[in-house]
Amino acid sequence: MTLRAVHYLNQFFAGIGGEEAAGSAPARREGAVGPGRRLQAMLGDAVSIVATVHCGDDRAASDPATAREIAALAGHADLVIAGPAFTSGRYGIACARVAAAVVAAGGRAVACMHGENPGVAEAGAAPVVLSLETARGMEESLRRLAHAVGRIAAGEALSTEDHVLSRAVRGNRLADRCAAERAVDLLLARLHGDRAATEISMSDFGRVTPAAPVADPAHAVVALLTEGALVPHGNPDRLESARARRWLRYSLAGRDGLGAGEFESVHGGFSTVLANADPHRILPLDAARELEAEGRIGRLHDDYLVTAGNGTHVATAAGFGVEWAAELRRAGVQAAILTAT
Amino acid sequence: MGPVITLTCALPRAGVAAFGGPAYPDPNGMVLTATALAPRRALDRVGPLRRFVHRVDAVSLGDHTSLRDGLLTVGAAAAEGCFAGPALARVRISLVSPGESARIVKVLDAVEPRTKGRGGGGIFPGLLGRLAVQGRGPLHVLRGAAVVTAGHLPRAQEAVVDMSGPAAPLSPLAALHCVVVEFEPAPGAAWEAVGDTLRIGALRLAAHLAEAALDEVPTVVVELPPTSLQRDPGDELPRVVAITRLQCQGAFKDVFVYGASMAGGLAVCLDPNELEDGAVVSGQYGHPGLKNPTYLFQNHPVLRALRARDAVDLRLAGVVLAPEPVEQARKELVAAHCARLCAALGADAAIVTKEGAGNADADLALTMDGLEALGITAVGLFAEMAGADGSGPPLVVSPERATAVISTGNYDEPLRLPAVERALGGAELSLAGTAAGAALEVPTAVVYGSLSPLGWGRLRAAP
Repeated sequence: MTLRAVHYLNQFFAGIGGEEAAGSAPARREGAVGPGRRLQAMLGDAVSIVATVHCGDDRAASDPATAREIAALAGHADLVIAGPAFTSGRYGIACARVAAAVVAAGGRAVACMHGENPGVAEAGAAPVVLSLETARGMEESLRRLAHAVGRIAAGEALSTEDHVLSRAVRGNRLADRCAAERAVDLLLARLHGDRAATEISMSDFGRVTPAAPVADPAHAVVALLTEGALVPHGNPDRLESARARRWLRYSLAGRDGLGAGEFESVHGGFSTVLANADPHRILPLDAARELEAEGRIGRLHDDYLVTAGNGTHVATAAGFGVEWAAELRRAGVQAAILTAT
Repeated sequence: MGPVITLTCALPRAGVAAFGGPAYPDPNGMVLTATALAPRRALDRVGPLRRFVHRVDAVSLGDHTSLRDGLLTVGAAAAEGCFAGPALARVRISLVSPGESARIVKVLDAVEPRTKGRGGGGIFPGLLGRLAVQGRGPLHVLRGAAVVTAGHLPRAQEAVVDMSGPAAPLSPLAALHCVVVEFEPAPGAAWEAVGDTLRIGALRLAAHLAEAALDEVPTVVVELPPTSLQRDPGDELPRVVAITRLQCQGAFKDVFVYGASMAGGLAVCLDPNELEDGAVVSGQYGHPGLKNPTYLFQNHPVLRALRARDAVDLRLAGVVLAPEPVEQARKELVAAHCARLCAALGADAAIVTKEGAGNADADLALTMDGLEALGITAVGLFAEMAGADGSGPPLVVSPERATAVISTGNYDEPLRLPAVERALGGAELSLAGTAAGAALEVPTAVVYGSLSPLGWGRLRAAP
């Protein structure tokens, strides 16, 4: 029996357009499109890509509700295939959320992206097939995806041997000896020549290539962002002071300054006394309005985005970054100042 | 039963027995004689610390403080009197013991009862004792007990100790008979004054309780010689320094060394015996799981582990204390200075610890890299922040050069704590607004000392 699959692609791979089309809404087309055609050729008769659903990256990554909209467009498919998204953050997050939404609703789905894509943290219970880094590796990435889909169609389990992301989680347990004694053991092992001994392998966070400088600041829309947990007094939306899982958006429209008592920092990682005496120490709205009045920046964006950067899970923070980028791009912002505490 | 005497004496080492030590040829043809003797003589004059350990097996409240056959009776009036002052309206002294269905919430600090003689004898120099160098002479210790302060202070984060159940093995306090001090600030009192009165009061109470042991026969006597900060000629054992970074982020997030914050300062090297006498006292109430209570500065786990191997397969070469600055340039300066100091001490290796979360990880990572850059082997103790499901990258800030890391557990992993019969420290948990004794699900980080940066705990995360 042939499995009926729906393929999710971003606006670029669906042929809708480049960054200028990144705000495009979710839509469905019948049959396979772009990389989906090559994937279909690899899949053979066991799986049929009956439709393609696509959405602009900014739209898909800036609003978590979009993933459910996309999943709904997939209809009653036997399987949803998302990607490959390579290392593209917005696309990866969209693929992961779509696959997670389908699986959460009781369906079957698989997402495909590189292991360092921030989307891997959002795939929920859906398997993630590891692609190569860029679209230059499309052929090999599709081969891996087709292999994994073939196994799903055959009712077989996926493993790391199928290039599926391993969810090797680290769990707490009690060791036989205390940490200080283990530290002495480790130190002696190192002194005796074991250069590899350790209890934690170093994390590789990768390097982000900085964007090019803003060509003409006098015409740029600039946004203010902060991880300093600055929120309206009373914290009406209950932003967490530590281990935040959310970010919030508040309006600066028509506002020239942030008065003490009007805004407060609820950050749990530092003394907020000085911040609350003058909230501009966290969010420099006063200086930004001056630059705006002097014509040195084109315009200040009407909203500021805020979270609490304190004990935040790295994958969560990386996800926030992608969502903020998508949100600001949709709003036509060219530059942002992110104040860190 | 008579006391068990354990002596760890400073044995004469190679090159020291004879005057003059080994002779070295000088490139200019003269013969120089190393004179390693003078500094050792000075160190011998410092003399050892003599630790008289008294076991506490049970505690009770009574009219007068006493210690008899392992039963510590806490004189209620004298204990409350330790906290007298205009900043506190009243205090309440309660006792809680290991295995009880009890929880202490809003835990601030814990102090092991210790004294050097009547009236403290100079214990906790700079805060309780007069400001003088300590780390020698007698030290009386009540092992198995702690004075624990609990209640609300600004900037303090909710910290929980369960005396039984699944969280008990995670906290250093759950295995101790705790003399819990709850308090009510005086109307209009400044919070800083409340904090100071509590801190000094806890030290005073710790010294008062230990004074009950002065006329008792100790369980164990341990003699701890002063630590030589230089290599003896002919000694080939690797020299290992403990580097202890201290949090210094202002009121309620500070640590006191001889009564003063290290904020703005550089690294200093102390004799480990000075910590035994209470030279380092905590006033840091943030980061419950990642906190170093005074109790663990008195019983520094890394120093204890190094002492256990001293003269066997390593030489303990001192403890370096240094602040954790909040500015990046100063972080880099102090980290490099720690490494330079270790180089000057002839260290072959160092174990580096911290207090606090991600900010302090940067100090830890920079210090480890600075050591490795000078060819000194570095081991660091990190708590992991791998997310509730343990799937995230474990370290927030990793060293770039150093790679030897010990895990003290994943900060984020949820723990289920059953309801308890009795709760101390407050009526409510400041986390969820639930009753202090209720069943809870909390991140591991909420359990006091659960991810002990000084290496007390057995918790670790692993795949």
